[in-house]
Amino acid sequence: MKSRTFSPYVPRPATLVSKSPLSELVTLYEFVLDNGKNLAHKPGQFIMVSIFGVGEAPFSISSAPIKESNVFEIAVRKIGTVTKALSELPVGAKAGIRGPFGTSFPVHEFVGKDTLLVAGGLGYIPIRSLLHYQLRHRQEFGRISVLIGTRSPRDRIFIDQIEALAKGGDVEVLETVDMPDANWKGNVGVITTLLPKAGVEPQNTHVAMIGPPVMYKFVLRQCREMGIPSERIWVSLERRMKCGLGKCGHCQINSLNACMDGPVFRYTDIESLEEAI
Amino acid sequence: MTAYTVQMEQLPGLLAAWSTQCQVHVPVSLDNGFYDFGPWRPGTEIAFEYDVAYNPLKRFFMPPREDMVVFDLETYSAKPVFAAPNILLFGVHPYDVKAVTQLDQLMESGSVDQNYFSRRDATVIFALTPMAVSETAFWASVGADKVDQGYDLYWTKIGPGTFHVEIGSGKGEELLLAAGPLSPATAGSREAARKAQVRARNLGLRRKLNYDWHETPHVMGRSWNASLWHRKAEKCLGCGSCNTVCPTCYCFDIREEVDEKLKTGHRFREWDGCMLNGFALVAGNHNFRPQASERYRHRYMRKGKYIFDKIGELGCVGCGRCVRACTSKIADPCEIFNTLWEESRHEI
Repeated sequence: MKSRTFSPYVPRPATLVSKSPLSELVTLYEFVLDNGKNLAHKPGQFIMVSIFGVGEAPFSISSAPIKESNVFEIAVRKIGTVTKALSELPVGAKAGIRGPFGTSFPVHEFVGKDTLLVAGGLGYIPIRSLLHYQLRHRQEFGRISVLIGTRSPRDRIFIDQIEALAKGGDVEVLETVDMPDANWKGNVGVITTLLPKAGVEPQNTHVAMIGPPVMYKFVLRQCREMGIPSERIWVSLERRMKCGLGKCGHCQINSLNACMDGPVFRYTDIESLEEAI
Repeated sequence: MTAYTVQMEQLPGLLAAWSTQCQVHVPVSLDNGFYDFGPWRPGTEIAFEYDVAYNPLKRFFMPPREDMVVFDLETYSAKPVFAAPNILLFGVHPYDVKAVTQLDQLMESGSVDQNYFSRRDATVIFALTPMAVSETAFWASVGADKVDQGYDLYWTKIGPGTFHVEIGSGKGEELLLAAGPLSPATAGSREAARKAQVRARNLGLRRKLNYDWHETPHVMGRSWNASLWHRKAEKCLGCGSCNTVCPTCYCFDIREEVDEKLKTGHRFREWDGCMLNGFALVAGNHNFRPQASERYRHRYMRKGKYIFDKIGELGCVGCGRCVRACTSKIADPCEIFNTLWEESRHEI
């Protein structure tokens, strides 16, 4: 028998270096790997985060890859056992990290082109990784438009950063909420109501979208109506990921595995798959 | 191919020799006509004429529950676990060998599953030409009546007390000759083995697909909206028995437990099944396959198309275990594939 010493199932220890609330239920966590190494992820990828004794769950990375920094971020909504344990984790405590896993947004294809980023709800978390990458290399990209749709104003995350972005002029930011409160003065309605306002040049634009399952069909239809070619539309699809290695079967989308073939797919690669959108 | 002739009376000596090196498992008769693989000990009666082992062999390479990682909560360190006893499986039917070779390919593709191969590499497989066929089997019609790889020895009973044994690997030959030299196979014994294999195939064709199995992915590709999925799934209890007994199903969940002092723990994988309601459930209670018919369809798409697209083989070896295990009598791949093929012929 060949001797085996490496297992992709063994998490690497990491330390929680900061946590800050983003909304009532969503918290931003900053980690560093204990070996001091850079996570070396790409925008759109995800990691499996372990809290020993509780379990493991997949989370999108929300920070841009930065060579000079070994800090990486996830933003997590408290909704299950692992996320609850994570919310109770004090700064300085350990967690286990596997990954990064999966495909990423092909930023090299976006170079010189306009980018339309469409984020529904928590979809802004992985979109933010791409957006911040593009902002760090701002001169390489054309116009960047970010559309953000949230259920209600109190569910908005990264509010200060997004407002600063909107004012900064580097990117165009359009926001909407489905259910406004008395103080909301912005756009009301589903995210598709923002697309006509974005002033997209269809022949020069790449689209990256992430949101709740119900969002994709409508945004895709509108993109096509606007004349954006399907091969320049990128979608990140959520599924239940347990192993991250294309084996456990939970994240299958027809014959593809979201954990390895995705989560980021070129739309033309999945448009014929009945289970994708 | 090198082959030998082995007499029945030589077997106890061989089994005794093998059992000094590995855990030897052989087909044995359980109650009321059920057979399964069980550990061999001197005196164990081998059920050479078994029709199908109740449990699939995947349990030897990917046990129902298998530790993957042990961790220490105080130091926050973790180590891999690679458990792999030396095992010899004697008397494995070709369709089960085929199922194992499929698992080998699927576990090797992409990220190699080291835990699987720890166990697989420590396992020796001695195949056996079937002498009886389960009433629910249809393996001969899906190309699983004979295999040319995946075994270390291939045994065929050619007389009341005589076996023809083909060598599949150096390890197999070494084990075969462990108790002393054997007679090389003659032309006559080779011909007798060929005839026994033809007989097995003919027996195995009592139930069959009504078309060439290579067409299955095309049939499945046209059947996404077939009414059959709903008709069958109406009776599905969602118990996952078909997944559990299937030799090519390998989906799993990952869970963990800690000791009572909360100091150490272990993370394990355990069999899961796509027919279970929560299989595609994500946080926030969104289920990507909420309907039983969607889960039912997914399972057959996986057997008939998705696995085929990956490895060029039907992901069902026709063992018929699921037919017998299903309490609702809706899990019969032979019937499903034939019905969909018949329906697809009438599509305009």
